[in-house]
Order: sequence, then C-alpha cells, then structure tokens
Amino acid sequence: MSKTVINMSNIIKRYYIGQPNELQILNGISLNIHEGEFVSIVGASGSGKSTLMNIIGALDKPTEGQYLLNDTDISKLSDKQLSDIRNKEIGFVFQTFNLIPRTTALKNVELPMLYAGVSKKDRTKRAKELLELVEMQDRSTHKPNELSGGQKQRVAIARAMANNPSIILADEPTGALDSKTGHLVMDIFHKLHKEEGKTIVLITHSPELAAETERIITISDGSVISDTGADVSVPGNTEVSA
Amino acid sequence: MNIFENLKMAFSSIAANKMRSLLTMLGIIIGISAVITITTLGTTLRSTIKGAMASLGSNLMYVRLTERDVDNYYDSLEVEMNDEDFFTMEDIETLLDTYPGEFQIADETPVGNASLKNSKGKDVAINLVGAYDGTLTYNSYKLIAGRNLSMDDVKYKKHACLVSDIFVEQYFKEKEEPVGKTIKVTLSTGIVQEFNIVGVYKYNSLSNGMGDRRTMSTPVYIPDSVGKAITGIHGETQFMFMMFTYNVKYDAEQVKADMLKYFNSLYAGNKNWMPEVVSMEDQLKTIDMVINVVTIVVSVIAAISLIVGGVGVMNIMLVSVTERTREIGIRKALGAKKRTIKQQFVIEAIIICLIGGIIGILVGFLNGELAGVIANSVIKSNPDYADILGDVQIVPSVGAIIISILFSTLTGVFFGLYPASKAAKMNPIDALRYD
Repeated sequence: MSKTVINMSNIIKRYYIGQPNELQILNGISLNIHEGEFVSIVGASGSGKSTLMNIIGALDKPTEGQYLLNDTDISKLSDKQLSDIRNKEIGFVFQTFNLIPRTTALKNVELPMLYAGVSKKDRTKRAKELLELVEMQDRSTHKPNELSGGQKQRVAIARAMANNPSIILADEPTGALDSKTGHLVMDIFHKLHKEEGKTIVLITHSPELAAETERIITISDGSVISDTGADVSVPGNTEVSA
Repeated sequence: MNIFENLKMAFSSIAANKMRSLLTMLGIIIGISAVITITTLGTTLRSTIKGAMASLGSNLMYVRLTERDVDNYYDSLEVEMNDEDFFTMEDIETLLDTYPGEFQIADETPVGNASLKNSKGKDVAINLVGAYDGTLTYNSYKLIAGRNLSMDDVKYKKHACLVSDIFVEQYFKEKEEPVGKTIKVTLSTGIVQEFNIVGVYKYNSLSNGMGDRRTMSTPVYIPDSVGKAITGIHGETQFMFMMFTYNVKYDAEQVKADMLKYFNSLYAGNKNWMPEVVSMEDQLKTIDMVINVVTIVVSVIAAISLIVGGVGVMNIMLVSVTERTREIGIRKALGAKKRTIKQQFVIEAIIICLIGGIIGILVGFLNGELAGVIANSVIKSNPDYADILGDVQIVPSVGAIIISILFSTLTGVFFGLYPASKAAKMNPIDALRYD
C-alpha cells in the first residue's frame, strides 16, 4: 500500500465547551487516506463534513483525537506552523472560488508561492505552467470579475496546485456552477489525479459527483457511516463500515 | 513575503478607493502643510535678512555698559554713573588703531537744517549730519561715486561731505560732476560753511522716508568733529553706548571677541560696570527664537491635526479590514501568517499617511512660493526695498521635510497597528464564511 497522507484517529470536535449549549459536531472519526487516492466525503448539510474539512485543511484543530498529516501531529502545532501546513501541504478549492479581487489570475496563482518565499521569477514560471495545465493561459492577465464561474474555479485549482501540496481539498467545487461547467471542473480533478497522481479529497453533498471518485466516505451526525475503501488497518473503522 | 510585494498591494488597495483614501489623508495633509508652510517662511525670512545684511557690505555691532551682577540690561539704568565709568572718543580711537580696518564708527549727530541756492537760484534744502566712517553703512546707503568719509576727516576736522544722488539732481546741472565741487551752505542759525564733496551716496527711503525727489531734503554727511565745532556742543565725548559697523570679510564671532576683549581690559578695574557687545548676528538669533516659537506653536497645532488625521486613518483601516474579511480568510487559507497579514495592513496605513505627508509637503511648498510671489511684488513696488532685499528666494526647510516624512510614517505605524492586528487575529474559518 502507498504512503498514508491523512491518518485520523478518534477525532472529536466540540464547540462552546463548558457552556450550556455545548455542541459535539464530530463524534470520534477515524480514517486513513493514502497518497494518490481520489476520495469523496459525502454528507447532508449539518452532518459535520465542513468541520471535518476544516480540520483536514489545518484551518481548525480537533478537540480530541489525533490527526497526522504526513506523520506530523497537527493538533500540536502553533498558529504559525499551521499557516505553513496550509501553505505547503494543502491546496484549497472552494465552492465560491475565493479568488482575491482586483488581482489577476496569474497573481492569484502566484500568491501561495509568494507566502512560501519563492522567487519572483520561479513564481511566474510555475504559475504560467499551472494556468496552462487548467487551460487558462489566455486569461492570465484577467481579474476575477472578468472571468466566468468555471474559469474562476479553474484558476482556483491552479492556485491550489501552486506549492505542489500533499492533498487537494475541494469543498463543493461545482456547487456554484451549472452541470456542464461542473463536469469540466471535475474533468480537471480527474486529470490531476491520473496525470499528476494528486491526492484529492472532494467534499460534496451530491452522490452523483461522489460516484465519480474512487472511494466514498459518508458522514452523518458527526460519524463515518460508510467507507467504500475502508482500511482494516485503522482501528475503529471496521465496526463502522457498511 | 517581501516589502515590495506588500507595497504593491497597498498601492492597488488605495487606488481602488481613491476618494476615500484622499479624504482620509486630509488631516495629515493639513497638519504637514501647515508645518512646511511656516518653516519655509521662517527659513526664507532668515535667509532674506542675512542676504540684506550681506548686501549692505557690512554688519552692525554695538557696545553698551551694563551694571555687573544685573541680569537684565534695563535694570542697570537705575544706578548713578560717574565720569570715570564712561568711555571716551580716545578709547574708541585706540580700539580702531588696535584692530585696523575691522571696525567703523556708526554714530551720527544732527547738526541742523541748512539750505543753498543752485545755479538757477532755486533753494535746495538739506540737513547736515555729523558722521563717521560707518554712518553710511549704518543707514543702509550705498556709495555710488567718490569716497566715504574717513577717520582722518574726523580727526583733522576736514570740511569734507557726502551728498545724496537726490541732492545732486536738485543742485547740479545734468551731467555735471559733483565730486570735487565745493558747496556753500547756510544753516538755519545763519552760520555759513563751505564743504568739499568727496562722495555721492544713493538715497533710499528705508532710513529717512519718502518725498518728492525734486524738493525733498536729504542728509549731507560731514565729519562729526566738524559738526560739533559748528554747533558748539562738545559734551558728547563720554559714551555708554556706541554703534559700530564691521567689515564682512571678518568673522562675526572674531570681531565680537576682539571688541569684547578690548572693552573688558578697559573695564577690568571697574567694580560696577562692564561692557556688553551685541551684534546683528545676535539680533538674528532673536529672530530665530521668534521663528522657533511660531514653529513650535504651529507644530503643536499640526500634531493635533496629525492625531485627528491618524484617528481617521485608523477608522478607515478598520472599515477596510472588515470589508476585506473574506480576502483575509482566503489569504490565511493559502498560508499567510499572522505577521504577513499584519504587515500588509500596517504598510497600507503607512502608505496612506506617507502620501498624505508628501501632498502636505507639496501644498506647503506652494504656499511658500505664493508668499514669495507676494513678497516679491511688494518689494518690486518699492525700488528702495528691492535695492537692499533683492529677489526673495524661497528656501524650504530640509529638516522640517525630513521630520514631516518621519512623523507621517510614525502616524501610519501607530494608527495602523490596531486595525492590522485585528485583521491578523481573524479566525480563517469565520473569515472565509463572512459575506
């Protein structure tokens, strides 16, 4: 088996700890995701998938449990180290694209490399290559307000790839697009997966979209209720597999 | 993340909100322009006065007696003076002999009104004034022909005189050479005296006022010793005050030291009185002090304006941070550290203040130039002023410009820090969800 990129064991997330309205969103999630996998995490709204995504993406820390990203324990890192993880290990793709306004496509793609301290020359070179990969090289000088939804998402994917991260974390990437453009965006994810061997985690509420991926993890009420690629080596996963 | 990228980001963000940024800068612009205007006027005033002093070819200096152990000169006048406390003309002559060419006596004594008839039989009015070698310079007059009165003229009671260009117009025929001619004047007391014209000076209204050039009475300077012989007043040989001019080729401090040294040795044995030497350079220091006080007052007002402007900058930065919450969230998700976000907003605040500061400096310059244009048009309307003052050159104060830039930067740092930390502390998840 290939290298384990994400190793979560018994992840619990609670909000308003110690207050009367204390809320437990994740009830002990354990899962393993390996290098090169294209995984979808499916769940209805309120199931806790966004919270799980935030934890996978190092935007948030679990209340309990251990999360190893490339063997690094995320829950023990400082804010500054988390920034570094987000910068180099995670590539975010959002539902609403989240490009920086008034900034060209090229500059948007360069941004993660700017934060990583890559030189101007190398940044521009890599950003151009990435825009070519998502077939957006003709729009590199366009600003987000001059791009269509599908174009924006392709720029966002190129940006997510900037520092060659361990995982691409896509949160409802086709949610704001019509089905045709949505398919085009999904094609890019497939291309990245097959040609670049990227580990992709797709978060969605749509079973059809999930069906395109290799492995579907279904979440409900803060627990994994099914995992088509359940890994018996992870303790706790056996009992929840469908 | 380097400063250059941050600067570019700051400029593009300011450019996106031009009007808002400009209004935010207003407080800074007003504060800085006020300081630059006033310091420019101050340094210009100072350099113009210095220039005028230099254009006269000589500077003024006086010695006066002051009571020992009294701080204020004017308090010492209460005490009775004895004959031996005064200094005499002989003492002054010794001073001049000790430092030849360094000092001229600037004293003058009115002798009286007089008149003489020109070739057409018309009366020409003059006033006779007893003078020394420094009197002409003291009155801001320039010699245009012949020579100045000398100490020899005074010593040997020569009947030499200096007349004005106006007198020459009134008395002589056109193109007649006045120097070397003898004039016969009749004083109002009836005394008639003859004087040989040794020099002609250019009259200006700075010392004695304006009048009709064809009829006005101008001073005719004769050696003071001759003047005293005419009036019969000889008492004024004891002095407690004497005005001197000194040659500009000598260093002002050195000249002052020389004079003080001489008078100190003269008064070494005097228990009650001591000499005090005051130069025009000292007067310039007084002007400097006035300029400084005005500058400080304006600076305080400007500081208040900077604080108000700074609060405005802070306010707009807080608005900007809230508006860009989502952008901050994206940046954090892409790996921007707290420090990076903080830096970005502080630099933006600094740039706003700095642009405000630079506009303020430019407005200050323009105010100075405007004042210069007005001053020059006033000076040009009076040829006598133009003679002495020349063309007023606006001299900006480099120190004030440097301090202005420094202070606008500090204002940016100080008032940008809080909004920037607020941005840096944002939780990326909440920031990303913000609409």
